Amino acid sequence: MEAIEVTDLRKAYGDTRAVDGVTFTVRAGETFGIVGHNGAGKTTTVECLIGLRRADAGTVRVLGEDPARRRRALAHRLGVQLQDSSLPERIKVGEALRMFGSFYRNAADWRRVMERWGLRPLARKAFGDLSGGQKQRLMLALALVGDPEVVVLDELTTGLDPIARRETWRLIGDLKTAGTTVVLVSHYFDEIEALCDRVAVFAHGRVEATGTTGELIARTGTASLEEAYLALEGADR
Amino acid sequence: MKAFTALTAAELRLLSRDPASLFFMVAFPLMLLVLKRGDGGAVPGYLAMIATIGGMGALPGLLASYRERKVLKRLATTPISPVLLLGAQLVAQVAAGLAGSVLLVVVAIAVFGVRAPGDVLMLAAAFLLCSVMVCALGFMIAAVVRNTRGASLIGMLVMFPMIFLSGAAVPRKALPGSLRQIGDFLPLTPAVKALGDAWSGTAASFPLLILAGIIVVATAAGAALFRWE
Ligand SMILES: Nc1ncnc2c1ncn2[C@@H]1O[C@H](COP(=O)(O)OP(=O)(O)O)[C@@H](O)[C@H]1O
Ligand SMILES: [Mg+2]
Repeated sequence: MEAIEVTDLRKAYGDTRAVDGVTFTVRAGETFGIVGHNGAGKTTTVECLIGLRRADAGTVRVLGEDPARRRRALAHRLGVQLQDSSLPERIKVGEALRMFGSFYRNAADWRRVMERWGLRPLARKAFGDLSGGQKQRLMLALALVGDPEVVVLDELTTGLDPIARRETWRLIGDLKTAGTTVVLVSHYFDEIEALCDRVAVFAHGRVEATGTTGELIARTGTASLEEAYLALEGADR
Repeated sequence: MKAFTALTAAELRLLSRDPASLFFMVAFPLMLLVLKRGDGGAVPGYLAMIATIGGMGALPGLLASYRERKVLKRLATTPISPVLLLGAQLVAQVAAGLAGSVLLVVVAIAVFGVRAPGDVLMLAAAFLLCSVMVCALGFMIAAVVRNTRGASLIGMLVMFPMIFLSGAAVPRKALPGSLRQIGDFLPLTPAVKALGDAWSGTAASFPLLILAGIIVVATAAGAALFRWE
């Protein structure tokens, strides 16, 4: 079964054609990577998936629903970590988790989510006093407090130190084991290789290639995902 | 409902952690009362001032910062509507203003022997309408001015002259005629009048209708102009 189906998606901001005919599918339970240069249209695509933006053309289906029309119903089954977003400076970690938990119909127990993601010692700390890595971890925990079927993570580990990044990988691995569908936008090839079943390479608002790491490497005759990516992006310039 | 309660509780907690809000909505009016040696005639105006400090001094900057820092955007990815957040914000501001006001009234009566309000129900109605109105004006400012600093600044720039010219901070009788005429056109003036009338027990419904009208217009304008990002 397909958890996500995107067909010929298009979205422009004025003259900028941010997404210019994107097609891909994500199977249920799959961890799906999206890579691509800055401005390739990754975030715009993700925002169409979660119903924050309305596509100009094309179709988007998430768990069989159109996110632009059924955003709120779908939001109960979706966990989201935006590329840049934040919380009120003075809200405490525990309060934020409890509050977000109250938004969802089938929420997980927020205390257990807090425990699981190692946020327990920070429960009484204000968002504004957290380090970058701690903020990211909280935003990820908030994406999961609704016990989602599909999780969308936009540049989850950008700005994290290597230890925090590995720690995050372990937690995403747990999601995968639990059968959650994950869409992971990332600039880190090691991360994509370690976590993702398949990858889409975005360039200039289009999907340049989709496949497993092995397939992309074979197709480009290169030795690593990074080289495969560079070959694919280079071909486009 | 559960989500709304949680949001409102969170907003109230955040307000109670903001020293500026606490000072200006609770301590400052009490200080003024002490300076005025418990002049009972000033109290209804101070109630309008407390509400205005929250709705126009604090709210525009707060909403603009939620937008600028993508707090609203993050909420828009959850099952709740971001409109709910605006509602929670309103309830929290009104509740905070009410707490500061009740304290002021109790101190005025208990400590300074001010005569109790003549029409408590009308006073409550006037306070509620006044609070909602200043929040609607604050919302409108946050809709027009996009960045946080700008929205805070404009909120303050509108608020200060208004609390002085409407009779909230100083009696209108003390103002020169030309300034009093400007005051006639300010939305807070009917609020101060409604609060004063209710206190003295001579409440009329006309000022309340004006306040309701301003609420409708400001909310509609704010809703038409407000951008979530
Ligand atoms: N809100 C917006 N308004 C105008 N242009 C935008 C907006 N968001 C993104 N863009 C533009 O659309 C293109 C794609 O951006 P984005 O989807 O954020 O790419 P990515 O996430 O791959 O870096 C870029 O050229 C960017 O400048
Ligand atoms: Mg992006």
